[in-house]
Amino acid sequence: MKKTARLIVFCFAFLMVCSLQGWSQSSPAEALKNVTIHTSDGNSIEGGTIVWRNGVITDVGKNVDIPFDAYVRDGGDSLHVYPGFIDGHALWGSPDIDEDVETPEEPGNPGYGRAGIQPERKPSELLQADSKALSEAPKEGFSTAALGLKGQMLPGQVDLFFINGKETEYLLFEQGVGVTAQFEEAQGQAYPSTTMGIMSQLRQLFNDAKALQQQEQYFASVSSNYPAPKQNKVLQALYPVMDKQQPFYFVVDTEENIERIFQLQEELGFEVVIVSGKEAYKKAEELKQREIPVLASIELPEEPKWRSEEEDEDHPEITEEMRIFRDKQEAAYKADIQNIAKLIDNGVKVGFASNGLELSDINKNLTTLKEEGDLEDEDILRMLTQSTANILGYSNQLGNIDEGRIASFTVFTKPFMEEKAQALYSITDGNLTEFEQESSEE
Amino acid sequence: MKKLFLLILTFCFSLTGFAQDKGSVLIKDGTLITIANGNMSNTDLLIEDGLITEIGEDISAPRGVETVDASGKYVMPGIIDAHSHIAGVDINEWTNPVTAEVSMEESINPNDINIYWALAGGVTSIHLMHGSANVIGGQNETLKLRYGSGMNEMRFEGAPRTIKFALGENPTRVHGQGFDVQPRTRMGVEQVIRDHFDAAIDYQRNRQEYLDAKQSYEDGTRSTPPVPVAKNERLEVLVDILEGEVLVHTHSYRADEITMLMRVFNDYGIEDYTFQHANEAFKVAPELKKNGAYTSVFADWWAYKFEVYYSTAYNASILNANGVKNSINSDSGELIRHLNHEASKAVHYGNTSKQDALKMITINPAVQLGIDERVGTLEVGKHGDVAIWDGHPLSIYSKTLKTYVDGKKYFDRAEDADDMRLKVDAEQDFDEASGRWYNENGRHSETCLRGAEIRFSKNGMKLQGN
Repeated sequence: MKKTARLIVFCFAFLMVCSLQGWSQSSPAEALKNVTIHTSDGNSIEGGTIVWRNGVITDVGKNVDIPFDAYVRDGGDSLHVYPGFIDGHALWGSPDIDEDVETPEEPGNPGYGRAGIQPERKPSELLQADSKALSEAPKEGFSTAALGLKGQMLPGQVDLFFINGKETEYLLFEQGVGVTAQFEEAQGQAYPSTTMGIMSQLRQLFNDAKALQQQEQYFASVSSNYPAPKQNKVLQALYPVMDKQQPFYFVVDTEENIERIFQLQEELGFEVVIVSGKEAYKKAEELKQREIPVLASIELPEEPKWRSEEEDEDHPEITEEMRIFRDKQEAAYKADIQNIAKLIDNGVKVGFASNGLELSDINKNLTTLKEEGDLEDEDILRMLTQSTANILGYSNQLGNIDEGRIASFTVFTKPFMEEKAQALYSITDGNLTEFEQESSEE
Repeated sequence: MKKLFLLILTFCFSLTGFAQDKGSVLIKDGTLITIANGNMSNTDLLIEDGLITEIGEDISAPRGVETVDASGKYVMPGIIDAHSHIAGVDINEWTNPVTAEVSMEESINPNDINIYWALAGGVTSIHLMHGSANVIGGQNETLKLRYGSGMNEMRFEGAPRTIKFALGENPTRVHGQGFDVQPRTRMGVEQVIRDHFDAAIDYQRNRQEYLDAKQSYEDGTRSTPPVPVAKNERLEVLVDILEGEVLVHTHSYRADEITMLMRVFNDYGIEDYTFQHANEAFKVAPELKKNGAYTSVFADWWAYKFEVYYSTAYNASILNANGVKNSINSDSGELIRHLNHEASKAVHYGNTSKQDALKMITINPAVQLGIDERVGTLEVGKHGDVAIWDGHPLSIYSKTLKTYVDGKKYFDRAEDADDMRLKVDAEQDFDEASGRWYNENGRHSETCLRGAEIRFSKNGMKLQGN
């Protein structure tokens, strides 16, 4: 009898909640108050409040009216909130490359897949949602990422996702923001095995795609007496790039390879976003002129050992030759680390791409960029947020904590660049995830 | 202080960034080895804005032009290496018997330290060749050794297009034995060439018919649209060869295969071609002469595989005596440093005249690359690509003192610093960076099988792809 009564009460309460929601026609607001809000322009609001509803920020500021239905969290004056970081080209959740490949019967004609020509592949269809990176990334402050796939010259498309662990697979934001390309040879013994081979292959693919597209148009324009075009998902996946509706996300580092992209771009006429671009500073002026943005890698060289060691045991005496060598090495090291700053100074649009970099290296390398790379805190924050949003084409929806933006931000215990800063909450497209705190050793 | 040094260093590098700039210099009182008009002692050579403008006595330097005293020295045209694989990123797209579509133009590494070492041997231009793994390999690129300039600035403006063919053991091993595809034999090599030329002829007709029909359809003079024939990157290049727009340079050794290819080329009307290596060319010198074929050989390098056992140090001299235009090449990042020694071997062994031996590393390779109107001799109007030597260049004791490309100095023995690398890897340590590969490998590196090396091991032949 008691049990039945309890069940009835429960059912009644449940119905009430459901119907309440129906009346208000939207989910309750949420609010975070009494926190330091860092906006992508480098400003901060102390003792601020953020209100969001239905995944959109409705109010931000110091004196904000919190709606009556809001679920409110109090930051207790010590927490720091940042716009969710955006990764412009991440490989999180991508299936690994199968290293065990056989030599094709005709190595010179291995077929599209074996050659690494797979622009039809979609991360949204292949995502490994249980990948560790997808649950770790929000703890590093990332709430959005353009996900690419591991592979060779054309490994697949780039899909934009909100990132939240296993949930990520349901959080596709936009499919096909671009197609990844790289100077990556086919595996093992198969064509193309060289950079020049990849360039030729890319030209041939465009030739073939153009011919197919032409045949499709002809077929559609006549009523009879014309052969039906053969469906070809690989070539058809290149149409949007050919028609400049999607850019290539071209992974490239050296000055010469960037020049090779310029050459291909002139011939084939595609839009391009450079991913990684470790030597992009050497082509900064031309990148600016061509309006090519860079989703920069922050993978940095190891510091030369002699820089930190008092005395090098292997070379106790510094010869003249060695001194010259060291000066050159020092200059090369500095140049690598100042790549991003030089690009920004030259007016190139610079966002961020991990593109395979371990998440655990990101904070350490950002610190190096700050200490030796001529970047200020606000440069780094802007690169991780608004600038990447701009490059991805979502300048008004992502990348900042502002009224009308998608509610994606991260709550840290300290300013995020500071040592031992930890993420407490990640709000992704309005949904809050709380992280377990790692115990402090203090 | 360190910062000041870095600043100066950066300044120097930013200057070399404009290295494709042309220079002016007056070289006075040297012995000019003109190649075109014999030797001229105590003669001045004026280069202005990259071109030789005057040769004679008592030339005075125009305002602002540096004068270099060459009294007691020899001045000769920059050496041209008709077969090189330095300054390349990849050498062999070795995965298909025919890869005419790829081009070394897109595989240039302008930062290769070997470029500087070649300049130190008086070399000013190279023929950066595709490797010899394929029957019809990739297109080659003629470069000027403008060390410190960019990938595109290294290219020899106006040089004709050339392509690499390869006969014999390399393509049959890589493709026949390695991949079990045609060609497995020398007969197969010939057939691959013929089949591809035929395919190119068919393609050219089909493609043109399509383009014409497309035009007619768009003009309204044809009622049904045509079925598209896609542009084919590989066959387009083969068509260009058949139309004489691309010079063919063929890796070859044996007399029978050299004769075979001349027969094939006669059948298809191909006229301008050079046999590279051609160790047995001396056996068919009259036939080569009759067909107007050129040769580019080693001075005395052989026996590194079966097909190069029948070789002789008299090859260059015999070809020369038969009127075949012959050059001596390096195909090696090591030999390129002393091609003058290689040329002198023709004098030593075969009693070739010094003038003819010097032609084999200057005007003859220039002819073979189609750049002889621009370089290869010291004549008014030609490019200011010259080297100053401290003695006669065919002497074993002589060294290059200065090397100029387009009148701009790229090497000066007096300013030869310890570390001339252009691109420095921040993570490379001193021992690795300061090593010179040829001290360990001799001449056997930076050669034409790079990327597809064939090695013999206890288990038989092994193909090592990259």
